[in-house]
Order: sequence, then C-alpha cells, then structure tokens
Amino acid sequence: MTDSVYKKFVQRWEDVMELPPTSLGPLTPLYKTLTRRLKVMPFPSLVIVSLLCVIGVYMLFGSAITLLASLLQRGF
Amino acid sequence: MKIIELLVGACISFGRNIIGIVFRPYESYRRIADHGSLIELIYIGFVLAFYFGLASLVHTSQFRPFLLTKEFVLLAGGAFFTYILVVGLVWNIGVLAGGKGTLRAVLLGWGYTLIPTVFWFLVTSLLYVILPPPRTTSVAGVSFSVLFLVFSTVLFFWKVILAYLTMRFGLRLDLGRIVIVTLITVPILVFYSMLMYRWGIFRVPFL
Repeated sequence: MTDSVYKKFVQRWEDVMELPPTSLGPLTPLYKTLTRRLKVMPFPSLVIVSLLCVIGVYMLFGSAITLLASLLQRGF
Repeated sequence: MKIIELLVGACISFGRNIIGIVFRPYESYRRIADHGSLIELIYIGFVLAFYFGLASLVHTSQFRPFLLTKEFVLLAGGAFFTYILVVGLVWNIGVLAGGKGTLRAVLLGWGYTLIPTVFWFLVTSLLYVILPPPRTTSVAGVSFSVLFLVFSTVLFFWKVILAYLTMRFGLRLDLGRIVIVTLITVPILVFYSMLMYRWGIFRVPFL
C-alpha cells in the first residue's frame, strides 16, 4: 500500500470513527434514508416538505394564512 | 503580509463554505468544524452589517444619521449578544451532555447558521418595501402568502439542519443528546426572544 493511499485510509477512518453513530433502534434505517436526502442538495426535499406543511396549514385555517404572512412580513 | 494571507485565505474559505452549506451542508460542516478559521466570522459579520444597514434605512424611513446609527447599533448589538448567548448555551449544555468538541467549531458552526437567518431577514425587508403588508384574502394575496410561507419554512428547516450539524460536528453529539440540548436551550431562547420583542429590538428573533 503506498503512503498516499494509507494516509487517505487513515483520514477516512478518523472521519468515520470520530463521531458517535446515531442509533434509533428499529427506526435507524428510516433515519438513514431520510438523512441521506438532506446531506447533499437538501433543497428539493425541503421545498416539497414545506409546501405540504403550508398546504396543510391552508386547509386548516383557509384564507387566514394571509394574517400569518402579514405578521411575518412585519417581523424583520 | 501574513495578516493579508490569513484574510485572503479566510475569504476564500468563507466563499467556499457559503456555497457548501447550500449544496453539501454535511460535508461543509465537517470541513468547517475540522479546518475552519475564526477569521471567517469577520466575513459573516460583514454580511450581517450590510443587512443591518439596509434594515436601519427601512425601519427609520428617513436619512437622518443619528437615527440610522442608533438603529444600526441596536440591531447589531442585539444580534451580537444573541449570538454569544446561543453559542454559550449550546457549548455549556452540550459539554454537560457529554460533548467533546471545540468552542471554535461551535462558534464557526453557529456563525454559518446565521446565513439563512440573514437571508430571510434581507428578503423580508425588501418585500416590506416592494409589497408592504397587510396581505388581502384575494387570490393574489393568498398565493403570495403561500409562497412567502413556503420560502420561510424552507429557510427554517435549512437553519434547523445547520444547527443540528453544528452540534453534530462541533460537539460530536449523537441525535439523542442533540435533542436533549435542544429541549433545554429552546425554552431559554423563547423567553429571551420575548424580551427582545418587548424591548422592540427584534420582532422575529435573530437567532
């Protein structure tokens, strides 16, 4: 094994081992599937989830979401 | 010369990290925690200062240097104090929860989480000028409200992801301990945000 390959191996080993693994018992595969989408270019997933949340709020409150938007627009 | 080299190097890292937190947040935060320089906070400060300058103009609505300076100092001071408070809380509670990272990583990590915050505040300030509230219940009003809420929610979730990565890489905590730190920190920040609202500094907390 060349020096550079060994150094890359050691670096990758340290990257993987330095963090404690996240374990959620039986939910761990689901967690890993969800977070895989968020590690690289999360925005498409975030836009879809946000759209669903806002549509849900609209179905609950109807046109009253304009009050929420007005409140937030004054929030800065 | 060494100072200029450090500043230029930090500027390049800052630019690279800004693009990274958009497209590859996980990898970028690992790099920020391992190799980031505190000098990058200066560039984050410049971005914030630009927003505070603009917000002072919008809040004050007149070009009076004393009032503009007062507003700028209030916003900048409030944001700085909030930043120190949040980093202090996250660091101390994180260490109590078993975190083993470095304060530098937490300072940098939380600094970069201010990017979605300042972006939301900047767009909201501009929309306040272009399309001032209140929104009506017409089709256009509801459509704009839906778009604005989607935009706000996306940035909120992005902020949550970056905050999670700050604790993951800055303190080397797992999900369970991150949730514990969050559950302890959030009520304190809610109370603090209410104080900021009462004092008229930030209506929406600049976290």
